[in-house]
Amino acid sequence: MKVLEIKNVHKIYNSSEVKVHAVNDISLDFEKGEFAAIVGPSGSGKTTLLNLIGGLDTPTSGEIMVDHTNLAELKSSALIDFRMRNIGFVFQSYNLIPVLTAKENVEFIMSLQKWKREDRDARTFELLKAVGLEDRVNSRPSKLSGGQQQRVAVARALASKPKFVLADEPTANLDSKSTETLLDIMDQLNKEEGITFIFSTHDARVVKKARRVITIEDGKVVSDERKN
Amino acid sequence: MIWKTAWKNVWRNKVRSLVVIISVTIGIFGGIFAVAVMNGAIEQRVDAALNEEIAHIHINHSNLRDNYDIQLFIPDLEQVLETVNATPGVKSVTSRTIITGMANTAAKSAGVQILGIDPETEKKVLKLYETTLPGTGSFFETESRHLLAYIGQDLAKELNIIRYMINDAVIDSLKKRELPEEILIKLAPYKGQRFKSEKSFKKEMKSILTLKEQHAYAVKIAKEAWSFRQRSKMTLTFIDKNQVQTGAVFRIAGIYDIKNNMFEMSQVLVKNEDLMELTGMTSKEMHQLVISLEDTEMTEEVTASLKSALPELEIMHWKEIQPDLAMMTDMIQKFYGVFMVIILAALAFGIVNTMLMVVLERTKELGMLTAIGMNKKRVFSMIMLESVFLSIVGGAVGMAVSKFMITLTARNGINLAGYEEGFEAMGFSAHIYPVISTSFFVTVTILIIVTGILSSIYPALKALKLDPSEALRTE
Repeated sequence: MKVLEIKNVHKIYNSSEVKVHAVNDISLDFEKGEFAAIVGPSGSGKTTLLNLIGGLDTPTSGEIMVDHTNLAELKSSALIDFRMRNIGFVFQSYNLIPVLTAKENVEFIMSLQKWKREDRDARTFELLKAVGLEDRVNSRPSKLSGGQQQRVAVARALASKPKFVLADEPTANLDSKSTETLLDIMDQLNKEEGITFIFSTHDARVVKKARRVITIEDGKVVSDERKN
Repeated sequence: MIWKTAWKNVWRNKVRSLVVIISVTIGIFGGIFAVAVMNGAIEQRVDAALNEEIAHIHINHSNLRDNYDIQLFIPDLEQVLETVNATPGVKSVTSRTIITGMANTAAKSAGVQILGIDPETEKKVLKLYETTLPGTGSFFETESRHLLAYIGQDLAKELNIIRYMINDAVIDSLKKRELPEEILIKLAPYKGQRFKSEKSFKKEMKSILTLKEQHAYAVKIAKEAWSFRQRSKMTLTFIDKNQVQTGAVFRIAGIYDIKNNMFEMSQVLVKNEDLMELTGMTSKEMHQLVISLEDTEMTEEVTASLKSALPELEIMHWKEIQPDLAMMTDMIQKFYGVFMVIILAALAFGIVNTMLMVVLERTKELGMLTAIGMNKKRVFSMIMLESVFLSIVGGAVGMAVSKFMITLTARNGINLAGYEEGFEAMGFSAHIYPVISTSFFVTVTILIIVTGILSSIYPALKALKLDPSEALRTE
């Protein structure tokens, strides 16, 4: 089942002097439960593509369909609501809310979605246990290591059971042990929850773990490999 | 969760939030306390006017107030009194004769209004008798074969009935009031010296005291140094019922002190029976009925009912007799509101500035929140709540401090003795008991919340304009 279809997407940034073709005619499909990495050198358009997929930016042309909904047809407020219900985000620098505890960070989106307290608590503990932080539920981000913060971010991204999770270089700030732990956890959650993971990365360890590797250069897909 | 996050965000930068909270606290405290002092002074003024000076309602001949002609009596006095006494809400009534005349002593003279009163019924309507200065006598309570007059402190000073003298008793008394030794040394050479008037005494004090000393101690010294010779005399001259100039020597029964220079200077009270004898008026010839009510709130209702029952007479309530009081009581509540709005408007700029810094500092976080699904309404609410919390915390502390200080100062009052002359010239007491109503705190609370909301609008709109993909790229 397709959760995401990208059709002939272009993104051109018009600066005062030069036009930058950040994404150049990319078409891709993602099935439910994929664990895919988008790789490429710096400036190749990975983050731009991820922003377009996540509805944080709008394509110059082309269509992005999430579960048969064209993101371009959604108004600003509807798009924000759509993101909340369908897309999970994991950022390179974790971006947790510093004044909230790990538990509160994870349940934040569920509370925005007005989940019942008991359902919210159950889901939060289930996810924090899955990412190995059941003993740090009341810790604030400042009391957690980088790896632990990123695991909370993954738990937050999965909290409301989105169609897919977009992770922009999630391991860029982590040491190798934390990277390995995080990748194992994401791999396991991907399999258990059936949620699609799409990473942008140039970390070889992530590429190794991914079951599909899409390489882009100069805004174009140069290879799309599926591993068995 | 938005409320919880906003509350926690307030304490993210404790120093900055505390600076805003303290500034709101000081602003609110300053505003409320100043209003309480003004309100206390005005309430005291109104109380004094109603209880000591004019009471609630006056009834007189419709032309009396034009020139106070002695012939303008209230027609059918008994009938009118019956009507007044039968009117619901009337507590007590007293009748007066009013003539204008001159008060003279050997030294000076002054124009006065002579009120012929019945001391017993007068006491039921007004409490002027309670303001008698200790040591000056009483409100016609002692029998005397002489004619008696009850006069104000300022008139007594003007006519040199009150004199000033420094003696051992005065120095001892000032010592007990903890006046510095250097002041007592300055006063020592004046021992035994008598000053005929307040003016000459003050002039002498000004010559020996520095400006700072005058401000701090002149009133204290004057209060101890004044002296009054029992049964001092003055002559009252006036026109009698037959338009013939007449007069008599009156002994001072007592001197009242009501902190209102104009009243003290002009109103001389004598017994009605004495005035009747001197002017040829009879007990049925009265100029004015003065009425006190059970409740001040009933003033307009009782006035209206008396006006319809006695259409041929002039019936005025206290707000009409003293329009300055009416203006003060009616306008002051609006003024208090405007005063607080100005203070809060100034504080609002501080809050706006802080919230703009908050939005600027949290650009990346706000971008992340929008990215993960926090819509504009919620982002706006969160910024607004942070601003409201900041102002509410500061406001609550400010109101608590105000309440505490008002309670504390209301026990003994604030004594602005250094400005006594100025206050009394306007009819106000320089000893003020701050007072504020609970409803004013409710108004201030609403104003604080509104300030918090208004202060958040511009910063929140800035936050809404953030592009999440751009915001996420900021460091």
